[in-house]
Amino acid sequence: MSRNSQQWSQKPSLPPTHYADPMIYSDPAIFEEEKEKIFKKVWMLAIHESEVANANDFRTYQHPGGTPLVIVRGEDMKIRTFYNICTHRGNLLVYEPSGNAKKLVCIFHQWAFDAKGNCVDIPRGKAGYQERVSESDVGLKEVRTEVGYGGFVWVNLDDSCGPLSEHIGSSLDYMLPELEAEPLEVLWYYQATLRTNFKLIHDTNSEFYHDYLHYHNRITGMLDSKSGYFQRKYTAFPNGHASVGSMNVSYDAYTGSGHSKLGWPKLPTNGWKLVDLFPCITFNLRTSVLRIDSYIPLGPDHVILEFRILGLKSDTPEIRQQREKDAATIWSPFGRNLHEDLLASSGQGIAMAKGSDPMYVLHAREEDLTIHDEVGMRHYLEEWSKRMGRSSSDPMHQATAPKQQTTVPKPQTKDVAQTV
Amino acid sequence: MNTDRATVEELVYQTCTALDRNDYSEFLGLCDKQFEYKVTAFSPEIRRDMTWLDHNRAEMEELFNTLPKHNSDHAPLTRNAVVYKVSYDKDQKQANVVTALQVFRTNLDGGATKVFAVGKYYDTVSLDSEKPILIKRHVKLDTRDLGWGNHIPF
Repeated sequence: MSRNSQQWSQKPSLPPTHYADPMIYSDPAIFEEEKEKIFKKVWMLAIHESEVANANDFRTYQHPGGTPLVIVRGEDMKIRTFYNICTHRGNLLVYEPSGNAKKLVCIFHQWAFDAKGNCVDIPRGKAGYQERVSESDVGLKEVRTEVGYGGFVWVNLDDSCGPLSEHIGSSLDYMLPELEAEPLEVLWYYQATLRTNFKLIHDTNSEFYHDYLHYHNRITGMLDSKSGYFQRKYTAFPNGHASVGSMNVSYDAYTGSGHSKLGWPKLPTNGWKLVDLFPCITFNLRTSVLRIDSYIPLGPDHVILEFRILGLKSDTPEIRQQREKDAATIWSPFGRNLHEDLLASSGQGIAMAKGSDPMYVLHAREEDLTIHDEVGMRHYLEEWSKRMGRSSSDPMHQATAPKQQTTVPKPQTKDVAQTV
Repeated sequence: MNTDRATVEELVYQTCTALDRNDYSEFLGLCDKQFEYKVTAFSPEIRRDMTWLDHNRAEMEELFNTLPKHNSDHAPLTRNAVVYKVSYDKDQKQANVVTALQVFRTNLDGGATKVFAVGKYYDTVSLDSEKPILIKRHVKLDTRDLGWGNHIPF
C-alpha cells in the first residue's frame, strides 16, 4: 500500500538502532561536524608505502579533514607526512600527485624544505627578514604517521591521538597473515568522483544483502550454498570496525570471469576475506588480489573514492599481469561488480539529496549475524553516533541521543570456509 | 596486401559506430579470431601503467553475452575517432593505426552530453585478406576518473 506524507515521514516501528534519519547522508552542517569530530580525529589510510618506495619519493594526499598533505620518504627511509602548505604565503607546496625530489621547493618564492620538514632555504632571507624570521622558525607542520597492516601509510591530523594499533584493535588480525606474508605493491590506483555520501558507499561494503544487485554473481552459482557464502558471519570490533568470515568463491561457476588459479600467500584457494574499518576504509582480499577502498568526502553529497589493487612486490611481470586481469573482470571501471556498486550508491545520492524528502533508511535485517544481517551498518552507525554526539536515527537531538544498543556480536570462532 | 588507407580508416570508424549502436556481433565481425583487446591508463599517482581490461576474443564474446545479466548504466556512448597515423608492416601484411578517441556520454533523461573519456586507440590491422580485419586493439586512456564506470568497452 502506498503511503501519504505523514506515513512516509513516520519513524519505523523498530528500535532506533535499526534505521537512520536520511539527513545524516545529506546535511551540510552534519558533514562539517563529521570533518571536525571524525576525520580530524581518526587514523586514515593515505597511501601504500610502495607509492614512496625510494628515498625522496613524495606523494600527495587530500585529507578528508580538508588539509592537503604530502607524504615523503626521507633518506633515512622513514616516511613522514606534512601539511602540503608552504609556510611563507600558504601556497600549495607540491602540485604533482607524486615524484622524487631532494628538496620540496615552493614555486612561488622558492622556499625549500627537506624530507624532515625543515626549511632549508629562504631566498634572500637575511636581506628581508634580518634576524626576525629564520629557517628554523618556518618548518613544515608534521602530521602523525604510522606504517603498518601490510605496509599502508596511515595519518592522523590529531597530534594527541592514540597509536594506530589502538584504533585498529584486533579487527585486522584475521587478515594479518595474508597482509604480512610478503611485501605488497600497488598495481592500480583508480579514483572515482561521485555525487553521493561517503557513508552510503561504506554501507554497501558493510552489507552483503546487496548481492541481489549483482544478479549475474548469483545466477551463475558463484555464491552457491556450498561456498560458505550464506554461512559467513559478521564480527564487530570496537571503534566501528567489522569483518565477515571467509569463504571460497566458486569462480569456476562464474561464467565469463576468466579468473585464474593464481592465489595469495596464506589465503585458502579461492578464499575471500573482508574487513571494514571506520570511517571509510575497506580491506577486501579475494583469491589473487587485495583491493583497498578509502574515501575522501568533499561534501555531504560529493566524494572521491580511491581504489587500490595490490599484488606482491615479488611478482614476476607475468604474475602481475594475471593479477591485474583477475582484478579487472570484477573491480576495474569496466568490471562487473564495481560499476553495479557505484551505480547503486550514486542512485542513493540522487534519491536522498537534500530537499528530496527521503524516508528513514532501514538497516534492520537480523539473520543470526550471517551474511544478509545488517549488523555491519548498525555497528558502524553506533560508532558514528558516539563520535558525533548525535543519534543516527534522530540527529537533531544531540542531548537526547539514545543509549546505543550493543551490536557487537560474539566473534566467529570457526572459519566457515573450512566447514563446508 | 591492400595498403589503401581509406579502407583501414573505415574499419576503425566502423568499429566505433558498431559499438555506439551496441551491435556487438557487427563489432566482432570486424575482429580476427585471435583478437586481443586491452584498456590501459598511466597513473601519475603511482607512476605506472594499469591494465583495466585484458581480453581475448572468447572473453570479449562472454563480456558482450553477459551484458544483459548486469545492472548497467544504459546512457548511450558516442565515440568520436580521428585516425592520426597509419603505418604499414609489409612483412607481416599488417597496418599499425593510431587513432585519437573521445567518448561522450548522453544522459537518457534529458539528453545532456558530457565528455566521458579521452584517449587513443593503438590498433593492429591485418591486410592479408580482401577486407582489413582488426587483430589487436589497445585503448590507452588519458581519462582515469570514469565515475561509476561502464560495462561496455570503448
